[in-house]
Amino acid sequence: MEIVVCVKPVPDPETRLRASPDGSALDTEGVKFMLAGYDESAVEQALLLKESVPGSKVHAVSFGPAPRTEEVLRAAIALGCDQATWVEAPAGAPGDPMVAARALADVIGKLPHDLVLCGKQAGDEESGVVAAALGELLQIPDFGCVLSPRWDAAQNLLTFRRATESGEEAWVAPLPCVVGLQQAWNDPRTAKLPAILKSRKAPIAHASAAPEAGDHSVGERFELPPPRTGAKLIEFKTPEEAATKLVRYLREEAKVFP
Amino acid sequence: MSLRILVVGEAQNGRLAGSTLEAIGKARALAGPDGVVGFLAGPHPEALADFAQHGVATVWSASDPRLDEVPVGAISPFVMGVAESVHPDLILLGGTTFGRDMAGHLGARGHAPVATGVTEITRVEGGLRVRRPIFGGRATETRRLEGNRAVVALRPHAFPAPAPAPVSPEVRPVATGDIPPRWLAPKRTGVDAPSAGAGPGLADATIVVSGGRGVRTADNFHLVEELAASLGAAVGASRAVTDAGWRPPSLQVGQTGRTVSPQLYVAVGISGAIQHLVGMVSSRVIVAINSDASAPIFKVADVGVVGDLFQIVPALTREIRKTRGLA
Repeated sequence: MEIVVCVKPVPDPETRLRASPDGSALDTEGVKFMLAGYDESAVEQALLLKESVPGSKVHAVSFGPAPRTEEVLRAAIALGCDQATWVEAPAGAPGDPMVAARALADVIGKLPHDLVLCGKQAGDEESGVVAAALGELLQIPDFGCVLSPRWDAAQNLLTFRRATESGEEAWVAPLPCVVGLQQAWNDPRTAKLPAILKSRKAPIAHASAAPEAGDHSVGERFELPPPRTGAKLIEFKTPEEAATKLVRYLREEAKVFP
Repeated sequence: MSLRILVVGEAQNGRLAGSTLEAIGKARALAGPDGVVGFLAGPHPEALADFAQHGVATVWSASDPRLDEVPVGAISPFVMGVAESVHPDLILLGGTTFGRDMAGHLGARGHAPVATGVTEITRVEGGLRVRRPIFGGRATETRRLEGNRAVVALRPHAFPAPAPAPVSPEVRPVATGDIPPRWLAPKRTGVDAPSAGAGPGLADATIVVSGGRGVRTADNFHLVEELAASLGAAVGASRAVTDAGWRPPSLQVGQTGRTVSPQLYVAVGISGAIQHLVGMVSSRVIVAINSDASAPIFKVADVGVVGDLFQIVPALTREIRKTRGLA
Protein backbone atom coordinates (compact mmCIF):
# COMPACT_ATOMS: atom_id res chain seq x y z
CA MET A 1 0.00 0.00 0.00
CA GLU A 2 1.36 3.42 -0.95
CA ILE A 3 0.57 5.64 2.02
CA VAL A 4 0.94 9.42 2.00
CA VAL A 5 0.83 11.13 5.38
CA CYS A 6 0.40 14.92 5.60
CA VAL A 7 2.10 16.70 8.47
CA LYS A 8 2.50 20.31 9.55
CA PRO A 9 5.02 21.88 11.90
CA VAL A 10 3.18 23.39 14.85
CA PRO A 11 4.43 25.26 17.90
CA ASP A 12 5.39 23.09 20.86
CA PRO A 13 2.11 22.75 22.79
CA GLU A 14 3.87 24.16 25.85
CA THR A 15 4.73 27.39 24.02
CA ARG A 16 3.73 30.61 25.73
CA LEU A 17 1.75 32.32 22.96
CA ARG A 18 2.42 35.96 22.03
CA ALA A 19 1.13 38.20 19.28
CA SER A 20 3.58 39.47 16.67
CA PRO A 21 4.58 43.16 16.93
CA ASP A 22 1.91 44.22 14.44
CA GLY A 23 -0.69 42.09 16.24
CA SER A 24 -1.72 40.19 13.12
CA ALA A 25 -0.33 36.74 13.87
CA LEU A 26 1.46 34.51 16.33
CA ASP A 27 4.92 35.78 17.16
CA THR A 28 7.08 32.88 15.99
CA GLU A 29 10.33 34.43 17.26
CA GLY A 30 12.02 31.82 19.42
CA VAL A 31 9.11 29.39 19.12
CA LYS A 32 10.05 25.73 18.80
CA PHE A 33 8.13 24.00 16.01
CA MET A 34 7.58 20.28 16.04
CA LEU A 35 5.62 17.29 14.83
CA ALA A 36 2.88 17.18 17.45
CA GLY A 37 -0.64 16.19 18.39
CA TYR A 38 -2.84 14.75 15.66
CA ASP A 39 -0.07 14.78 13.06
CA GLU A 40 2.22 12.73 15.26
CA SER A 41 -0.65 10.27 15.61
CA ALA A 42 -1.23 10.28 11.86
CA VAL A 43 2.40 9.24 11.33
CA GLU A 44 1.96 6.50 13.94
CA GLN A 45 -1.16 5.25 12.15
CA ALA A 46 0.64 5.31 8.80
CA LEU A 47 3.48 3.23 10.25
CA LEU A 48 1.07 0.76 11.87
CA LEU A 49 -0.69 0.24 8.53
CA LYS A 50 2.65 -0.12 6.77
CA GLU A 51 3.67 -2.79 9.25
CA SER A 52 0.40 -4.66 8.78
CA VAL A 53 0.46 -4.65 4.98
CA PRO A 54 3.65 -6.17 3.53
CA GLY A 55 5.34 -4.13 0.82
CA SER A 56 3.86 -0.82 1.94
CA LYS A 57 5.65 2.51 1.84
CA VAL A 58 4.98 5.72 3.73
CA HIS A 59 5.67 9.07 2.11
CA ALA A 60 5.47 12.12 4.41
CA VAL A 61 4.46 15.41 2.79
CA SER A 62 4.43 18.85 4.33
CA PHE A 63 3.69 22.38 3.16
CA GLY A 64 5.36 25.27 4.92
CA PRO A 65 8.34 27.58 5.17
CA ALA A 66 11.99 26.82 5.84
CA PRO A 67 13.46 25.54 8.07
CA ARG A 68 10.78 24.07 10.27
CA THR A 69 8.94 22.16 7.56
CA GLU A 70 12.06 20.27 6.59
CA GLU A 71 12.71 19.56 10.27
CA VAL A 72 9.30 17.91 10.86
CA LEU A 73 9.83 15.80 7.76
CA ARG A 74 13.16 14.62 9.18
CA ALA A 75 11.34 13.78 12.39
CA ALA A 76 8.84 11.74 10.35
CA ILE A 77 11.70 9.90 8.61
CA ALA A 78 13.35 9.21 11.96
CA LEU A 79 10.09 7.61 13.10
CA GLY A 80 10.06 5.28 10.09
CA CYS A 81 8.61 7.07 7.06
CA ASP A 82 10.37 5.96 3.88
CA GLN A 83 10.37 9.18 1.90
CA ALA A 84 9.50 12.83 2.33
CA THR A 85 8.54 15.77 0.15
CA TRP A 86 8.71 19.37 1.28
CA VAL A 87 6.42 21.79 -0.54
CA GLU A 88 7.98 25.13 0.19
CA ALA A 89 5.63 27.94 1.10
CA PRO A 90 6.93 31.32 0.03
CA ALA A 91 7.88 33.52 2.98
CA GLY A 92 4.93 35.65 3.99
CA ALA A 93 2.37 33.39 2.31
CA PRO A 94 -1.03 33.74 3.97
CA GLY A 95 -1.65 31.06 6.59
CA ASP A 96 -4.61 29.83 4.62
CA PRO A 97 -5.60 26.17 4.90
CA MET A 98 -6.92 26.08 1.35
CA VAL A 99 -3.61 27.34 0.00
CA ALA A 100 -1.94 24.50 1.91
CA ALA A 101 -4.46 21.96 0.61
CA ARG A 102 -3.98 23.00 -3.02
CA ALA A 103 -0.20 22.86 -2.70
CA LEU A 104 -0.36 19.42 -1.05
CA ALA A 105 -2.85 18.12 -3.65
CA ASP A 106 -0.54 19.20 -6.50
CA VAL A 107 2.27 17.12 -5.04
CA ILE A 108 0.23 14.13 -3.84
CA GLY A 109 -1.47 13.89 -7.22
CA LYS A 110 1.93 13.12 -8.76
CA LEU A 111 2.88 10.52 -6.12
CA PRO A 112 1.49 7.00 -5.89
CA HIS A 113 -1.26 7.37 -3.29
CA ASP A 114 -3.51 4.49 -2.26
CA LEU A 115 -4.22 6.06 1.09
CA VAL A 116 -3.76 9.67 2.16
CA LEU A 117 -3.72 10.14 5.93
CA CYS A 118 -4.13 13.45 7.76
CA GLY A 119 -4.49 14.35 11.40
CA LYS A 120 -7.92 15.68 12.30
CA GLN A 121 -6.59 19.19 12.49
CA ALA A 122 -3.34 21.02 13.09
CA GLY A 123 -2.78 22.00 16.70
CA ASP A 124 -2.37 25.67 15.84
CA GLU A 125 -5.00 26.93 13.41
CA GLU A 126 -7.42 24.05 13.89
CA SER A 127 -9.19 24.50 10.58
CA GLY A 128 -9.54 20.78 10.00
CA VAL A 129 -10.42 21.16 6.32
CA VAL A 130 -7.32 19.86 4.58
CA ALA A 131 -8.42 16.19 4.41
CA ALA A 132 -11.78 17.15 2.87
CA ALA A 133 -10.15 19.59 0.48
CA LEU A 134 -7.68 16.90 -0.63
CA GLY A 135 -10.58 14.54 -1.32
CA GLU A 136 -12.21 17.16 -3.51
CA LEU A 137 -9.02 18.16 -5.30
CA LEU A 138 -7.83 14.59 -5.88
CA GLN A 139 -11.41 13.49 -6.62
CA ILE A 140 -11.27 10.51 -4.29
CA PRO A 141 -13.57 9.83 -1.31
CA ASP A 142 -12.50 11.33 2.00
CA PHE A 143 -13.63 10.54 5.51
CA GLY A 144 -13.23 12.74 8.56
CA CYS A 145 -13.19 11.79 12.25
CA VAL A 146 -11.92 8.28 11.51
CA LEU A 147 -11.02 5.89 14.31
CA SER A 148 -8.69 2.91 13.91
CA PRO A 149 -8.49 2.19 10.16
CA ARG A 150 -7.57 -1.42 9.30
CA TRP A 151 -6.74 -3.05 6.01
CA ASP A 152 -8.87 -6.06 5.16
CA ALA A 153 -6.55 -7.93 2.78
CA ALA A 154 -9.11 -10.63 1.97
CA GLN A 155 -11.62 -8.12 0.63
CA ASN A 156 -9.20 -5.41 -0.49
CA LEU A 157 -11.04 -2.85 1.61
CA LEU A 158 -10.16 -0.36 4.27
CA THR A 159 -12.43 -0.80 7.29
CA PHE A 160 -12.81 1.91 9.91
CA ARG A 161 -15.16 3.61 12.31
CA ARG A 162 -16.09 7.28 12.35
CA ALA A 163 -17.02 9.28 15.42
CA THR A 164 -19.71 11.70 14.26
CA GLU A 165 -22.42 13.62 16.05
CA SER A 166 -24.91 10.83 15.43
CA GLY A 167 -22.72 8.15 16.96
CA GLU A 168 -20.05 5.78 15.77
CA GLU A 169 -20.40 4.70 12.18
CA ALA A 170 -18.75 1.62 10.68
CA TRP A 171 -17.48 1.94 7.08
CA VAL A 172 -15.71 -0.08 4.42
CA ALA A 173 -14.06 1.70 1.52
CA PRO A 174 -11.92 0.65 -1.43
CA LEU A 175 -8.72 2.56 -2.08
CA PRO A 176 -7.77 5.17 -2.97
CA CYS A 177 -9.21 7.42 -0.31
CA VAL A 178 -8.31 10.19 2.11
CA VAL A 179 -8.68 9.62 5.82
CA GLY A 180 -8.76 12.37 8.46
CA LEU A 181 -8.01 10.75 11.79
CA GLN A 182 -10.02 11.59 14.83
CA GLN A 183 -7.99 9.58 17.21
CA ALA A 184 -4.80 10.63 18.84
CA TRP A 185 -2.41 8.11 20.26
CA ASN A 186 -1.31 8.68 23.78
CA ASP A 187 1.87 6.79 23.22
CA PRO A 188 3.08 7.16 19.64
CA ARG A 189 6.52 5.63 19.11
CA THR A 190 9.57 7.77 19.70
CA ALA A 191 12.51 7.86 17.33
CA LYS A 192 15.68 6.02 18.26
CA LEU A 193 18.95 7.92 18.24
CA PRO A 194 20.54 6.08 15.28
CA ALA A 195 17.39 6.77 13.25
CA ILE A 196 17.48 10.43 14.22
CA LEU A 197 21.12 10.71 13.15
CA LYS A 198 20.40 8.92 9.88
CA SER A 199 17.38 11.13 9.18
CA ARG A 200 19.62 14.21 9.18
CA LYS A 201 21.20 13.02 5.96
CA ALA A 202 18.09 11.54 4.37
CA PRO A 203 17.19 13.06 1.01
CA ILE A 204 14.04 15.20 1.08
CA ALA A 205 12.38 15.98 -2.20
CA HIS A 206 11.63 19.65 -2.69
CA ALA A 207 8.75 21.19 -4.57
CA SER A 208 7.65 24.79 -4.89
CA ALA A 209 4.02 25.66 -4.52
CA ALA A 210 2.47 26.90 -7.74
CA PRO A 211 1.59 30.59 -7.74
CA GLU A 212 -1.84 31.00 -6.22
CA ALA A 213 -4.84 32.23 -8.06
CA GLY A 214 -8.16 32.91 -6.41
CA ASP A 215 -9.22 34.50 -3.16
CA HIS A 216 -7.59 33.99 0.17
CA SER A 217 -8.22 34.32 3.82
CA VAL A 218 -5.76 36.59 5.56
CA GLY A 219 -5.00 36.78 9.26
CA GLU A 220 -5.67 40.29 10.60
CA ARG A 221 -5.41 39.98 14.36
CA PHE A 222 -4.09 37.47 16.88
CA GLU A 223 -5.41 37.98 20.39
CA LEU A 224 -4.89 36.30 23.69
CA PRO A 225 -7.81 36.11 26.09
CA PRO A 226 -7.58 38.23 29.20
CA PRO A 227 -5.77 36.12 31.76
CA ARG A 228 -8.10 34.13 33.95
CA THR A 229 -7.73 35.48 37.42
CA GLY A 230 -8.03 32.17 39.19
CA ALA A 231 -10.98 30.39 40.68
CA LYS A 232 -13.24 31.91 43.25
CA LEU A 233 -12.99 29.27 45.97
CA ILE A 234 -16.12 28.16 47.74
CA GLU A 235 -15.90 28.17 51.52
CA PHE A 236 -17.71 25.37 53.31
CA LYS A 237 -17.84 23.29 56.44
CA THR A 238 -19.70 20.27 55.09
CA PRO A 239 -19.88 18.70 51.60
CA GLU A 240 -23.59 19.58 51.56
CA GLU A 241 -22.80 23.24 52.10
CA ALA A 242 -20.25 23.14 49.26
CA ALA A 243 -22.85 21.53 46.99
CA THR A 244 -25.55 24.08 47.85
CA LYS A 245 -23.23 27.03 47.28
CA LEU A 246 -21.93 25.61 44.02
CA VAL A 247 -25.42 25.03 42.63
CA ARG A 248 -26.40 28.56 43.68
CA TYR A 249 -23.36 29.93 41.83
CA LEU A 250 -24.20 27.96 38.71
CA ARG A 251 -27.81 29.12 38.74
CA GLU A 252 -27.53 32.72 39.81
CA GLU A 253 -24.13 33.93 38.67
CA ALA A 254 -23.00 31.67 35.87
CA LYS A 255 -26.59 31.09 34.68
CA VAL A 256 -25.68 27.75 33.18
CA PHE A 257 -28.28 25.89 35.09
CA PRO A 258 -32.06 26.10 35.07
CA MET B 1 -26.45 45.66 -1.38
CA SER B 2 -27.73 42.95 0.84
CA LEU B 3 -25.97 39.68 1.41
CA ARG B 4 -27.13 36.42 -0.04
CA ILE B 5 -26.44 33.33 2.01
CA LEU B 6 -26.80 29.63 1.19
CA VAL B 7 -27.21 27.50 4.32
CA VAL B 8 -26.22 23.87 3.70
CA GLY B 9 -28.37 21.86 6.08
CA GLU B 10 -27.79 18.55 7.80
CA ALA B 11 -30.52 16.13 8.81
CA GLN B 12 -30.31 14.19 12.04
CA ASN B 13 -32.97 11.58 12.68
CA GLY B 14 -35.03 13.14 9.92
CA ARG B 15 -35.08 16.63 11.41
CA LEU B 16 -32.81 19.60 10.82
CA ALA B 17 -29.78 19.36 13.12
CA GLY B 18 -29.45 21.94 15.90
CA SER B 19 -26.20 23.06 14.29
CA THR B 20 -28.09 23.93 11.10
CA LEU B 21 -30.65 25.92 13.07
CA GLU B 22 -27.77 27.90 14.60
CA ALA B 23 -26.52 28.61 11.06
CA ILE B 24 -30.00 29.69 9.94
CA GLY B 25 -30.23 32.08 12.89
CA LYS B 26 -26.91 33.69 12.05
CA ALA B 27 -27.71 33.81 8.33
CA ARG B 28 -31.01 35.58 8.98
CA ALA B 29 -29.29 38.08 11.26
CA LEU B 30 -26.73 38.85 8.54
CA ALA B 31 -28.88 38.81 5.42
CA GLY B 32 -32.47 39.18 6.55
CA PRO B 33 -35.02 36.45 5.83
CA ASP B 34 -35.15 37.23 2.13
CA GLY B 35 -31.40 36.81 1.73
CA VAL B 36 -31.25 33.21 2.92
CA VAL B 37 -31.82 30.03 0.92
CA GLY B 38 -31.24 26.46 2.01
CA PHE B 39 -29.84 23.23 0.64
CA LEU B 40 -30.53 19.75 1.97
CA ALA B 41 -29.33 16.34 0.80
CA GLY B 42 -31.40 13.22 1.33
CA PRO B 43 -35.15 12.54 1.56
CA HIS B 44 -36.12 14.40 4.73
CA PRO B 45 -39.47 16.22 4.36
CA GLU B 46 -39.62 17.14 8.04
CA ALA B 47 -36.16 18.69 7.90
CA LEU B 48 -37.25 20.68 4.83
CA ALA B 49 -40.24 21.88 6.83
CA ASP B 50 -37.86 22.91 9.63
CA PHE B 51 -36.20 25.34 7.22
CA ALA B 52 -39.56 27.02 6.50
CA GLN B 53 -40.47 26.91 10.18
CA HIS B 54 -37.37 29.03 10.84
CA GLY B 55 -37.94 31.59 8.14
CA VAL B 56 -36.12 30.06 5.15
CA ALA B 57 -38.71 29.69 2.41
CA THR B 58 -36.60 28.54 -0.51
CA VAL B 59 -34.81 25.24 -0.03
CA TRP B 60 -33.05 23.27 -2.73
CA SER B 61 -33.68 19.62 -2.04
CA ALA B 62 -31.52 16.82 -3.42
CA SER B 63 -33.87 14.18 -2.08
CA ASP B 64 -32.02 11.21 -3.62
CA PRO B 65 -31.88 8.64 -0.78
CA ARG B 66 -28.41 7.52 -1.86
CA LEU B 67 -27.08 10.84 -0.56
CA ASP B 68 -27.61 9.69 3.02
CA GLU B 69 -25.06 6.95 2.50
CA VAL B 70 -22.27 8.56 0.50
CA PRO B 71 -19.08 10.44 1.36
CA VAL B 72 -19.35 14.22 1.40
CA GLY B 73 -17.50 14.46 -1.92
CA ALA B 74 -20.53 12.96 -3.68
CA ILE B 75 -22.75 15.78 -2.44
CA SER B 76 -20.51 18.81 -2.92
CA PRO B 77 -21.09 19.03 -6.71
CA PHE B 78 -24.85 19.43 -6.11
CA VAL B 79 -24.27 22.22 -3.59
CA MET B 80 -21.98 23.95 -6.08
CA GLY B 81 -24.63 23.52 -8.76
CA VAL B 82 -27.13 25.33 -6.56
CA ALA B 83 -24.53 28.00 -5.74
CA GLU B 84 -24.17 28.64 -9.47
CA SER B 85 -27.88 29.47 -9.63
CA VAL B 86 -28.14 31.35 -6.35
CA HIS B 87 -24.79 33.24 -6.38
CA PRO B 88 -24.37 33.39 -2.60
CA ASP B 89 -21.81 35.71 -1.04
CA LEU B 90 -21.52 33.20 1.76
CA ILE B 91 -22.10 29.47 2.07
CA LEU B 92 -22.79 28.81 5.74
CA LEU B 93 -22.70 25.48 7.59
CA GLY B 94 -23.20 24.20 11.11
CA GLY B 95 -20.30 23.25 13.35
CA THR B 96 -20.38 19.48 12.85
CA THR B 97 -18.17 16.87 11.19
CA PHE B 98 -20.36 17.18 8.10
CA GLY B 99 -20.22 20.98 8.18
CA ARG B 100 -16.47 21.09 8.42
CA ASP B 101 -15.88 18.42 5.78
CA MET B 102 -18.37 20.03 3.41
CA ALA B 103 -16.71 23.43 3.95
CA GLY B 104 -13.39 21.93 2.85
CA HIS B 105 -14.97 20.47 -0.27
CA LEU B 106 -16.83 23.62 -1.25
CA GLY B 107 -13.80 25.83 -0.70
CA ALA B 108 -11.62 23.54 -2.78
CA ARG B 109 -14.19 23.14 -5.53
CA GLY B 110 -15.17 26.79 -5.69
CA HIS B 111 -11.69 28.19 -5.04
CA ALA B 112 -13.18 30.16 -2.16
CA PRO B 113 -11.67 31.07 1.20
CA VAL B 114 -12.83 28.86 4.07
CA ALA B 115 -13.06 29.40 7.81
CA THR B 116 -14.26 26.87 10.37
CA GLY B 117 -15.03 27.04 14.08
CA VAL B 118 -16.25 30.60 13.58
CA THR B 119 -17.73 32.59 16.46
CA GLU B 120 -18.35 35.96 14.73
CA ILE B 121 -19.04 37.06 11.16
CA THR B 122 -19.14 40.65 9.98
CA ARG B 123 -19.29 42.15 6.55
CA VAL B 124 -16.38 44.32 5.45
CA GLU B 125 -15.26 46.03 2.27
CA GLY B 126 -14.31 43.33 -0.23
CA GLY B 127 -15.36 40.33 1.81
CA LEU B 128 -16.18 39.09 5.28
CA ARG B 129 -14.38 39.21 8.59
CA VAL B 130 -14.56 36.26 10.97
CA ARG B 131 -13.30 35.52 14.45
CA ARG B 132 -12.39 32.04 15.60
CA PRO B 133 -10.67 30.48 18.59
CA ILE B 134 -7.38 28.76 17.78
CA PHE B 135 -4.72 26.87 19.74
CA GLY B 136 -7.39 25.03 21.72
CA GLY B 137 -9.02 28.29 22.76
CA ARG B 138 -5.76 29.75 24.03
CA ALA B 139 -5.96 32.49 21.38
CA THR B 140 -8.43 34.05 18.98
CA GLU B 141 -7.77 35.08 15.43
CA THR B 142 -9.53 37.57 13.22
CA ARG B 143 -9.41 36.67 9.54
CA ARG B 144 -10.54 38.48 6.42
CA LEU B 145 -12.10 36.25 3.79
CA GLU B 146 -11.43 37.98 0.52
CA GLY B 147 -13.47 37.95 -2.62
CA ASN B 148 -17.09 37.56 -3.51
CA ARG B 149 -17.75 34.13 -2.03
CA ALA B 150 -16.68 32.63 1.27
CA VAL B 151 -17.42 29.32 2.96
CA VAL B 152 -17.88 29.34 6.72
CA ALA B 153 -18.64 26.59 9.24
CA LEU B 154 -19.67 27.88 12.66
CA ARG B 155 -18.37 26.81 16.03
CA PRO B 156 -20.88 24.56 17.80
CA HIS B 157 -23.09 26.48 20.24
CA ALA B 158 -21.51 29.83 19.41
CA PHE B 159 -24.87 31.11 18.14
CA PRO B 160 -28.33 30.55 19.59
CA ALA B 161 -30.96 28.63 17.67
CA PRO B 162 -33.41 31.17 16.23
CA ALA B 163 -37.00 31.53 17.35
CA PRO B 164 -39.47 29.97 14.89
CA ALA B 165 -40.65 32.33 12.16
CA PRO B 166 -42.83 30.23 9.87
CA VAL B 167 -43.04 31.03 6.18
CA SER B 168 -44.61 28.99 3.43
CA PRO B 169 -42.08 26.61 1.97
CA GLU B 170 -40.90 26.61 -1.59
CA VAL B 171 -38.96 23.44 -2.28
CA ARG B 172 -36.86 23.31 -5.42
CA PRO B 173 -35.80 19.84 -6.48
CA VAL B 174 -32.16 19.22 -7.35
CA ALA B 175 -31.66 16.45 -9.91
CA THR B 176 -28.85 14.11 -8.95
CA GLY B 177 -28.80 11.72 -11.92
CA ASP B 178 -25.79 9.47 -12.18
CA ILE B 179 -23.36 9.52 -9.30
CA PRO B 180 -19.89 8.34 -10.33
CA PRO B 181 -19.27 4.79 -9.05
CA ARG B 182 -16.24 5.78 -6.96
CA TRP B 183 -18.52 7.82 -4.68
CA LEU B 184 -20.93 4.92 -4.25
CA ALA B 185 -18.29 2.27 -3.57
CA PRO B 186 -17.63 3.11 0.10
CA LYS B 187 -20.35 1.62 2.29
CA ARG B 188 -21.56 2.53 5.72
CA THR B 189 -22.19 -0.83 7.34
CA GLY B 190 -23.61 0.29 10.65
CA VAL B 191 -24.21 3.09 13.12
CA ASP B 192 -24.03 2.77 16.87
CA ALA B 193 -25.91 5.47 18.69
CA PRO B 194 -23.62 7.47 20.97
CA SER B 195 -22.09 4.94 23.31
CA ALA B 196 -24.24 3.33 25.93
CA GLY B 197 -25.77 5.66 28.48
CA ALA B 198 -23.18 8.29 27.67
CA GLY B 199 -25.74 11.05 27.22
CA PRO B 200 -24.83 13.67 24.64
CA GLY B 201 -21.63 13.30 22.61
CA LEU B 202 -18.61 15.13 23.99
CA ALA B 203 -18.10 17.30 20.95
CA ASP B 204 -21.48 18.97 20.99
CA ALA B 205 -22.50 18.77 24.65
CA THR B 206 -23.43 22.00 26.38
CA ILE B 207 -22.22 20.60 29.71
CA VAL B 208 -19.21 18.31 30.18
CA VAL B 209 -18.19 16.61 33.42
CA SER B 210 -14.68 15.12 33.34
CA GLY B 211 -12.81 12.98 35.82
CA GLY B 212 -9.08 12.70 36.37
CA ARG B 213 -6.43 10.86 38.30
CA GLY B 214 -7.95 12.04 41.60
CA VAL B 215 -10.77 9.54 41.07
CA ARG B 216 -8.11 6.89 41.85
CA THR B 217 -9.69 3.76 40.36
CA ALA B 218 -11.87 2.68 37.45
CA ASP B 219 -14.53 1.57 39.93
CA ASN B 220 -14.79 5.07 41.39
CA PHE B 221 -15.43 6.68 38.02
CA HIS B 222 -19.17 6.12 38.39
CA LEU B 223 -19.16 9.17 40.73
CA VAL B 224 -18.22 11.33 37.73
CA GLU B 225 -20.79 9.62 35.53
CA GLU B 226 -23.58 10.08 38.06
CA LEU B 227 -22.79 13.78 38.37
CA ALA B 228 -22.83 14.03 34.58
CA ALA B 229 -26.17 12.21 34.42
CA SER B 230 -27.70 14.58 36.97
CA LEU B 231 -26.73 17.51 34.71
CA GLY B 232 -27.61 15.83 31.41
CA ALA B 233 -23.92 16.26 30.61
CA ALA B 234 -21.42 14.38 28.49
CA VAL B 235 -18.68 12.47 30.34
CA GLY B 236 -15.05 13.30 29.68
CA ALA B 237 -11.76 12.18 31.15
CA SER B 238 -8.19 13.33 31.48
CA ARG B 239 -5.38 11.48 29.79
CA ALA B 240 -4.41 9.84 33.10
CA VAL B 241 -7.78 8.08 33.12
CA THR B 242 -7.74 6.91 29.51
CA ASP B 243 -4.05 5.88 29.68
CA ALA B 244 -4.85 3.78 32.73
CA GLY B 245 -7.69 2.15 30.79
CA TRP B 246 -10.33 3.22 33.32
CA ARG B 247 -12.38 4.63 30.48
CA PRO B 248 -11.99 4.45 26.65
CA PRO B 249 -9.73 6.89 24.77
CA SER B 250 -12.78 8.35 23.03
CA LEU B 251 -13.59 10.20 26.27
CA GLN B 252 -10.24 11.95 26.49
CA VAL B 253 -10.33 15.75 26.59
CA GLY B 254 -7.06 17.52 25.78
CA GLN B 255 -4.23 17.96 23.33
CA THR B 256 -4.33 14.35 22.16
CA GLY B 257 -8.06 13.90 22.68
CA ARG B 258 -11.07 16.08 22.05
CA THR B 259 -11.32 19.82 22.29
CA VAL B 260 -14.56 20.90 23.91
CA SER B 261 -16.07 24.32 24.54
CA PRO B 262 -19.28 23.75 26.47
CA GLN B 263 -21.24 26.28 28.49
CA LEU B 264 -20.13 24.50 31.65
CA TYR B 265 -17.09 22.30 32.24
CA VAL B 266 -16.75 20.49 35.56
CA ALA B 267 -13.27 19.07 36.28
CA VAL B 268 -13.32 16.43 38.99
CA GLY B 269 -9.98 15.32 40.41
CA ILE B 270 -8.10 16.81 37.46
CA SER B 271 -4.89 18.66 38.27
CA GLY B 272 -4.88 20.64 35.03
CA ALA B 273 -1.76 19.77 33.04
CA ILE B 274 -1.39 21.98 29.96
CA GLN B 275 -2.14 18.85 27.91
CA HIS B 276 -5.63 18.85 29.39
CA LEU B 277 -6.15 22.61 29.58
CA VAL B 278 -5.78 23.18 25.85
CA GLY B 279 -8.75 20.90 25.29
CA MET B 280 -11.19 22.71 27.57
CA VAL B 281 -9.99 26.20 28.43
CA SER B 282 -12.41 27.87 26.01
CA SER B 283 -15.40 26.52 27.98
CA ARG B 284 -17.60 29.38 29.15
CA VAL B 285 -17.71 28.47 32.84
CA ILE B 286 -15.19 26.12 34.44
CA VAL B 287 -15.74 24.47 37.81
CA ALA B 288 -12.92 22.54 39.52
CA ILE B 289 -13.18 20.08 42.37
CA ASN B 290 -9.80 18.93 43.66
CA SER B 291 -8.17 18.21 47.01
CA ASP B 292 -4.96 20.03 46.09
CA ALA B 293 -5.39 23.80 46.40
CA SER B 294 -2.21 24.37 44.38
CA ALA B 295 -3.46 22.35 41.35
CA PRO B 296 -3.12 24.41 38.14
CA ILE B 297 -6.77 23.73 37.28
CA PHE B 298 -7.73 26.37 39.86
CA LYS B 299 -5.87 28.99 37.81
CA VAL B 300 -8.21 28.56 34.84
CA ALA B 301 -11.39 27.66 36.73
CA ASP B 302 -14.03 30.28 37.49
CA VAL B 303 -15.09 28.64 40.67
CA GLY B 304 -13.39 25.94 42.72
CA VAL B 305 -14.02 23.60 45.59
CA VAL B 306 -10.89 22.49 47.44
CA GLY B 307 -11.94 19.27 49.09
CA ASP B 308 -12.36 15.54 48.98
CA LEU B 309 -14.13 14.66 45.77
CA PHE B 310 -15.43 11.43 47.28
CA GLN B 311 -17.56 13.57 49.60
CA ILE B 312 -18.17 16.66 47.47
CA VAL B 313 -19.23 14.95 44.25
CA PRO B 314 -21.99 12.72 45.73
CA ALA B 315 -23.32 15.71 47.69
CA LEU B 316 -23.31 17.81 44.52
CA THR B 317 -25.07 15.09 42.53
CA ARG B 318 -27.79 14.88 45.19
CA GLU B 319 -28.19 18.66 45.29
CA ILE B 320 -28.49 18.93 41.52
CA ARG B 321 -30.97 16.06 41.33
CA LYS B 322 -33.03 17.74 44.04
CA THR B 323 -32.87 21.12 42.30
CA ARG B 324 -33.91 19.61 38.99
CA GLY B 325 -36.73 17.65 40.60
CA LEU B 326 -35.13 14.29 39.81
CA ALA B 327 -35.39 13.27 43.48
